[in-house]
Amino acid sequence: MTRDSLVALAACFALGAAPSATAQGDPVADPAVDPKVDAVAWASPIPDQPAAVLVRGATIWTSGPQGRLEQADLLVRSGKIAAVGPDLAAPPGAVVIDAAGKHVTAGLIDAHSHIAVDGSVNEGTDIVTAEVRIADVLDSGDADIYRELAGGLTAANVLHGSANAIGGQNAVIKLRWGAPPEDLLFEGARPGVKFALGENPKQSNWQVQDRRYPQTRMGVEQAIVDHFEDAYAYRRNRQQAASPGSSAIPPRPSLRLEALLEILDGDRRVHSHAYRADEMLMLLGLSERYGFTIDAFQHALEAYKIADELAARGVGASTFSDWWAYKFEVVDAIPHNGAILLERGVVTSFNSDSGELARRLNTEAAKAVRYGGVEEEEALKLVTLNPAIQLGVGDRAGSLEPGKDADFVIWNGHPLSTYSLAEQTWIDGRRYFDREADLARRSELAAEREALLAEAAGEAEEDPQGPKESDDPQDPDAPDESQDPAPDPPPSPAPTEVTP
Amino acid sequence: MTRTRAFTAPGRPFVAPALAGAVAVLSFAGLAAPPAARAETLAFVGGTVHPVSGPPLAGATLLVEGERIAAVGSGVVVPEGARVIDVAGKHLYPGFLHPQTDLGLVEVSSVRGTVDTTEIGQVNPNLRAEVAFNADSFRLPPAAAGGVVAAHVVPRGGVLSGTSAVMRLQGWNWRDMTIAAPVGMHLWWPRASRAGWWDRTTPEELEKRRKEELEVLDETLERARAYGRALAAAAAQPARGPAPDPRLDALQPVLAGEVPLFVHADTLPQIEAALDWLAEKGFERAVLVAGYDVARAAERVAAAGVPVILDTVHRVPSRAWEPYDSAYTAAARLHEAGVRFAIAAGGAGADSENARNLPFEAATAAAFGLPREIALEAITLRSAEILGVGDRLGSLEPGKEASFFVADGDPLEIRTAIESVWIAGREVDRSEDRQWRLYRRYAERPLPAAEGE
Repeated sequence: MTRDSLVALAACFALGAAPSATAQGDPVADPAVDPKVDAVAWASPIPDQPAAVLVRGATIWTSGPQGRLEQADLLVRSGKIAAVGPDLAAPPGAVVIDAAGKHVTAGLIDAHSHIAVDGSVNEGTDIVTAEVRIADVLDSGDADIYRELAGGLTAANVLHGSANAIGGQNAVIKLRWGAPPEDLLFEGARPGVKFALGENPKQSNWQVQDRRYPQTRMGVEQAIVDHFEDAYAYRRNRQQAASPGSSAIPPRPSLRLEALLEILDGDRRVHSHAYRADEMLMLLGLSERYGFTIDAFQHALEAYKIADELAARGVGASTFSDWWAYKFEVVDAIPHNGAILLERGVVTSFNSDSGELARRLNTEAAKAVRYGGVEEEEALKLVTLNPAIQLGVGDRAGSLEPGKDADFVIWNGHPLSTYSLAEQTWIDGRRYFDREADLARRSELAAEREALLAEAAGEAEEDPQGPKESDDPQDPDAPDESQDPAPDPPPSPAPTEVTP
Repeated sequence: MTRTRAFTAPGRPFVAPALAGAVAVLSFAGLAAPPAARAETLAFVGGTVHPVSGPPLAGATLLVEGERIAAVGSGVVVPEGARVIDVAGKHLYPGFLHPQTDLGLVEVSSVRGTVDTTEIGQVNPNLRAEVAFNADSFRLPPAAAGGVVAAHVVPRGGVLSGTSAVMRLQGWNWRDMTIAAPVGMHLWWPRASRAGWWDRTTPEELEKRRKEELEVLDETLERARAYGRALAAAAAQPARGPAPDPRLDALQPVLAGEVPLFVHADTLPQIEAALDWLAEKGFERAVLVAGYDVARAAERVAAAGVPVILDTVHRVPSRAWEPYDSAYTAAARLHEAGVRFAIAAGGAGADSENARNLPFEAATAAAFGLPREIALEAITLRSAEILGVGDRLGSLEPGKEASFFVADGDPLEIRTAIESVWIAGREVDRSEDRQWRLYRRYAERPLPAAEGE
């Protein structure tokens, strides 16, 4: 048995998703398991979607017009929220969950993520790489999907790194653990593209053999201008060649320029990595000149300095709660950024940029209460409704309102408390994470893993040639090297410090 | 140009520099005299005191004289002339002691000129962390505002990286901020796994490097022992001693058991090898600084009686087969096995600039099974005891440093406000916190006039 297959097998047992819903009354479930799931190496079956689910007696943080409701019920029908309120009746056959003493929130949404990407997230070669697409390299078997579900996350904006002024096309996903890559995509999310300003696109923080233009913030602006002008010229030449009687040769098709035209036409929205106020004002200027739309500045650590300018243009900010000082352009970052932005009317979210932080975005939101005194329900929206709006899925997710997707979390306590944890995470009315089931299966999984390792060791004795030929045969405790790629990693070779 | 200084007396509001300048010009037209150190007596009355060394005391008084705690309790008589601070409805806790950080050694991580964490070379036992501690680092005030009053500052690099120090986070220079040094000698256990996703070292090269580092370690300690014998021989009879060697000199207190050895071992194979080595070499004073794998060796660590600094609760499991909460539950598993441990923070967003997030890593350990009072102890009293400063820090008891904070609730909750922080009897001045100043400035920015461009 090769190491790879061994690890895959062991992992498959360890990360089995929750078993199907345990119903009180008859479960009304779709027994059919999507056959495509078999194509996914080590995922578990997609959980059932009961015809109706009633969560009873909880404190419900709707993140919507109903606010926070005590002793309330949440009714789900066929994967959509049907009603939120007191004393809802359970439809016949509904899965009923007694949630007395528990808290329920909308599923958390991470507006800046790099999980579930197969290989590097940076196409670091060129200053503009608008043709590359995250959707082409989604890795639905990434264990981080399950781990983040376990922290109450239900959706993520998967972005490229920040090596390019105009980077690749993003993918907004739901964390449907077990689904094949194409089924992770969040239907109806606005197409987006990653931009990046400042130190990363100008290659400040790592050694590169061949430096490229630009090396300054001045150059970053002009690199964007140059490429937009190229895109317009490309369109003009194509139109000219297509006009009746023209003998002009049409330009060679370019996926890069086509993507830039989508941006210029407003069909693809910009998520721009930026830290400093100056560079954000620069891109605001370009967006006015070229008419493209910035959905959100990503990181935006100095957004508090230009909150009014952002609010006036309806540009969002997707920021860290409290990161700072890891490089020079984040020296002026302050943890009160979120509070100032909310106060001045900017649609603001707190993101992770990290497979670790994404597992506790609820307590990241709590930092807006700590720094600047944001009201608790508004703080929670930093990781629910606000990122949903920024990603163009505000009509589908981010709050518990009738008609929206049944993406929600059951917490064992106050959702902004450091002592609370997610007990169940539901997406589309399916229970993708259940802590109780996860705990119940652990000893069984550990035993299976030991058995597999023993078997592998036995084979190794029989055939000492085999394992020795593989790359890294010896140590089952060796960390998986593919785990937790650094946020916005730089182009090779790697630096000593990896900075977002 | 007149030089002016704006001194802020403890508890007094910040005086704007312009105003302070004007005052100084009017009164002296020159240098303002520095304030003499004075031993103020402070009485915090009416709050709930959480000594950590014992149960909470409601309605108790905390009496501070100069830098030290004079008395704690409900029957404490407030002396004449004491400044009385009413903390009714509030909670007093000992300040946090971060047990493993590079605070003060680094300013901006990516700017090399501001980084003094990591020396070149494998054997640097003679390096001393405290001498590179930047007393005016802009990382200190935000940490202090978060209740972190002291930090164990540790040098990195190579196999033996030098000695660490416990530093106070407020003061005039590193000398008056040093609470204890040397606290420990730092040994970074050789690893046989790659450093990260970018590392392309082959398994053969890794194994070769691991063996070489172990040889360097054993050989260095052997040389240090021989050097020590030569020194002793030279002292006993006036013969010529060995040529002075600062590196080998620095190891003598470790060999004599006067300075503990802090062994940094992240993964299980490293931890097990380090425990074997410690037993073999007979080091009795050792501390294990370990990742969450240490919980898998908890029984053994407990039996060996080695205290642990659990380095980072907020970690993603490094192997796909592990339970998702492996790092979150490590502290609880150590506790159940009877291991004495402190908790260090180093998760995403908790490098030393965010040392203020230390209590929230302890809280996560509590969410995943560690009793809450142990979580608090793991960043206060136990941290102090493991670092050998349990007589100075970590609890609110008479004779200890008056380094504590006033909060409106449980400080392991993010939503709790820490209202004032006192380090060695002096209130931390919020205006020294650059982040706070930027916040105040931009929170009050007037709405811009209609824009042109």
